[in-house]
Amino acid sequence: MPTINLNGAQKNYGVNSANAVSDLDLEIRDGEFMCLLGPSGCGKTTTLRMIAGLENLSGGEIRIGERVVDSVQEGVFVPPEKREMGLVFQSYALWPHMTIERNTDFGLRLRKLPKAEREARVEQVMQALDIAKYRDRYPSQLSGGQQQRVALARMLAVNPGVLLLDEPLSNLDARLRLEMRAELKRIHKEFKTTIVFVTHDQWEAMTLATTIAVMNNGTLQQMGTPNEIYDRPANRFVAEFVGSPPINILELDTSDMTDIAREAAVFLSARHPSLKGIGAIGIRPEAIGYTADKAQIPPGSFGGEMIVTGVLPTGGSWILELRSDNNTLFLTTSVLPRVEPGSKTHFYAETSALHVFDKTGMRISEADALLRAAAIN
Amino acid sequence: MALISEAAKAPPATDAVRQPTAWQGWRYRAKVASREPTTLIGLLTALLFTYLIAVPIVSIVLDAVRVQFGHERRLGKDIGDLTTYYLDRVFMSPVSVDLFWRPLFNTLTVAIGAILLSLVIGGILAWLISRTDMFGRRWFATALIVPYMLPAWTFALAWTTLFKNRTVGGQPGWFEAMGLTPPDWVAYGRFPITIILALHYTPFVLLLFGSALRRFDSQLEDSARILGARRYQVALKIILPLMRPALLSSMVLIFAKCLGEFGVPYVLGLPVKFEVLSTSLFRSIASRQTGVAGVVAASIMIIGIITLMIDARLVREARRFVTVGSKGSMNRQNRLGNMRLAATVFAAAIFVLSVGLPLMTLFLSTVMKMPARFTLDNFTLDYWIGTNLNTVALQTGVLLSPDLWSAAKNTLTIVGLASLTSGILGLLVGYVVIRTPVRALSVYLRQVTFLPYLVPGIAFAAAYLSLFAVPRGPMPALYGTVTILVLALIADQMPYASRAGISAMTQLGKEPEEAAQIAGAGWFRRMISIVIPIQKGSLVTGVLLPFISGIKGLSLFVILAVPSTDVLTTYSLRLVDYHYTQAANAVVLMIAAIAYLGTLAAQKLTKTNLAEGLGS
Repeated sequence: MPTINLNGAQKNYGVNSANAVSDLDLEIRDGEFMCLLGPSGCGKTTTLRMIAGLENLSGGEIRIGERVVDSVQEGVFVPPEKREMGLVFQSYALWPHMTIERNTDFGLRLRKLPKAEREARVEQVMQALDIAKYRDRYPSQLSGGQQQRVALARMLAVNPGVLLLDEPLSNLDARLRLEMRAELKRIHKEFKTTIVFVTHDQWEAMTLATTIAVMNNGTLQQMGTPNEIYDRPANRFVAEFVGSPPINILELDTSDMTDIAREAAVFLSARHPSLKGIGAIGIRPEAIGYTADKAQIPPGSFGGEMIVTGVLPTGGSWILELRSDNNTLFLTTSVLPRVEPGSKTHFYAETSALHVFDKTGMRISEADALLRAAAIN
Repeated sequence: MALISEAAKAPPATDAVRQPTAWQGWRYRAKVASREPTTLIGLLTALLFTYLIAVPIVSIVLDAVRVQFGHERRLGKDIGDLTTYYLDRVFMSPVSVDLFWRPLFNTLTVAIGAILLSLVIGGILAWLISRTDMFGRRWFATALIVPYMLPAWTFALAWTTLFKNRTVGGQPGWFEAMGLTPPDWVAYGRFPITIILALHYTPFVLLLFGSALRRFDSQLEDSARILGARRYQVALKIILPLMRPALLSSMVLIFAKCLGEFGVPYVLGLPVKFEVLSTSLFRSIASRQTGVAGVVAASIMIIGIITLMIDARLVREARRFVTVGSKGSMNRQNRLGNMRLAATVFAAAIFVLSVGLPLMTLFLSTVMKMPARFTLDNFTLDYWIGTNLNTVALQTGVLLSPDLWSAAKNTLTIVGLASLTSGILGLLVGYVVIRTPVRALSVYLRQVTFLPYLVPGIAFAAAYLSLFAVPRGPMPALYGTVTILVLALIADQMPYASRAGISAMTQLGKEPEEAAQIAGAGWFRRMISIVIPIQKGSLVTGVLLPFISGIKGLSLFVILAVPSTDVLTTYSLRLVDYHYTQAANAVVLMIAAIAYLGTLAAQKLTKTNLAEGLGS
């Protein structure tokens, strides 16, 4: 399947309502496994449905390769049934009055393939997804995980160029979800399909995607590989949305700055006087170390002293809650913490672990190189 | 120097180019809308319902303010000129008391009496059934709904069979025959009408209030108990306030139903000249007072519309109190202790009063020669299957009368045709309302098909009469034809049919259809392979429920039917008018049986609760 391009795609429901999706540029290349990630209501499902043709645009256009399939300006609209895509719904949307086999067969029948070919294809897909044994059952007789596989099989049977998945794993329990993630990765390899996957679950996005597009309020926030998204979030929204426990944000531009933030400001202006207009600093919990002995703090680190107010085991690792008078920091550690709640401790973070944002919340990327250089020295 | 951040891209230069012009947006939407027949079907149905629903209503309102045939001379104006004569006559003139104000007062008092009585009885029963360990709760839950499945004037006929006194000729009532003459106020007028309407609409309270009680989250109650509230405090401070919307809503619905009720006041009110709005309207139409009828009909409509607007408001308010708990829905029961038997006897007594006694009376009256004489030689099957009877007309038992069978045939064809059509149209309307990208069309269709609900059947029939009695444009005069009955019935049933269709389509959701679309199925294919097979059940209900309500319906037919288009209900009313009491009762029993069995069948078929078909 050629590259899919969204140019300035826009959607609003009704004249006076806010845009569900506004001015979205998105490129989905052949063979990609792209995740649309964002909180609920951010427009990711709308985007997916626009690509499928189930949602009409309010502005902009969608191209598949050179072919315009949807454009308000040019007055073009190719209906979903002619776009040759596959879509797995969050609710699976299996047809309740058809058996599993008929559900899988439906698309092939529409394409008027010869019977033998259809049967072979249905068999192959049902085997691949391990649902052949349910062929004569009805959807209501299957469990959620099985239904989910049927929904996938139904779409894979017609071998679509693009497979669109709308939070397909959100209704499954934790174990099944893990299995299905592996399954999806395998399908992506085996069927060599382009996959566009909508989720609000960052772990799902991180583990599955080759490219993640983070969305909020109907606009694209950042597009990149999972590592880029996590290590170099383009703005505070992305930084705060991705990562659990969430990133610690120190506001610098408020008049009643917290003491930690004030330390951070002093720290940065002492070392990097060229950095100006900083609004906030982010530090990931796992980038923060702690020690009772001040001498052990690596030189050149940013840090301070706080009181341990909570030790929360998460099984295999721990979250520590540190507080000063008016500030809270979370840090994670995989070593059993030997601190008592109520005791004072020093915390620190290496310069290269700081994410620096300007007053509008955008990442100051020039700061990265400076801070990295400082860490090396 | 402030640093430029990486993601703060300059806004795309093409922004102005990208924003589509109004014309481009319109062209695109038109293209999307015209791609499928949904919108075309929507436009056609919208046109149809404008003609069948909106136009008649407008027409009767216009009748109210325009000079009617026969009044040109008196008013010194031409037919069709604007006049306030009819408004004056109905609201201000010396006869206004008889035409409007007393009927209005009677309607209001009867309705309020019926509401209070049914609230008390229904409220207690609902509580007993859903919250206590009364004996036979499950059986009562179904049995006490039966009065609603039967036509209301079944009870009116049973009442006259028992209490008719010497004020009116014909066969006397049982009490009169036994030498106990019931006073007029017991036999006719306000008292019996109120009692009968109350018994008939008690199931409303039972269903609405009962289902609210059952869905009530007991965790809310438990929290109060844990905090130390006593039982009566919980009932007063927690349960009752939360139940208020359900209670108010059933009150308003009963009021709306009473407003349009025709059969009961006709049978029981006429002998003592006790008039309500619907009978007053009927009298105006019967005496060809078209303008006056227009004013009265419009007044009934306006009262109906106001009532249902209040109800809509209450429903919206009720949504604020969504108390449906997944876990805590009510399954706990209050132990009645020694009151258990008493409660059961009370429920049984209500059942006997509202179902057993009336039906038994009606049945016995059809097999007894002389009223209230319970000797073996007094029983006969002549009224059902007798021949060569010593009467002026109807010299055979009713089952052998060709009139009955032609009425039955008419009923089946008229009601059957109308229900089938409205069922199918309902599903189509549901589909268009949910699916069309043209929002205005969806809103209009939803509202226009709901309009007849606001208009009591008798006023709606009057509207039809006003529009179709004379030829207009390409439409010939339809009065006296089967067509006008079918059309009026379709329009009258559209609120239920379209609501059923809309809710069925909402429940289906768009995803199964979208999945088929993605798989490559075009519109017709999706209809045939996906939508219709899945909606089979609701299509059957959408036909069956209107059919039942049509079979027992009276108010539409009584105005629009003529002897040649008699249906079972009007036939039995005619028999009442001619004092063939036994035959009339027999026909009513048959109607009741059909309505009851039909409802049961609908419930079985669709495995739904009656509460959903409540409005029909």
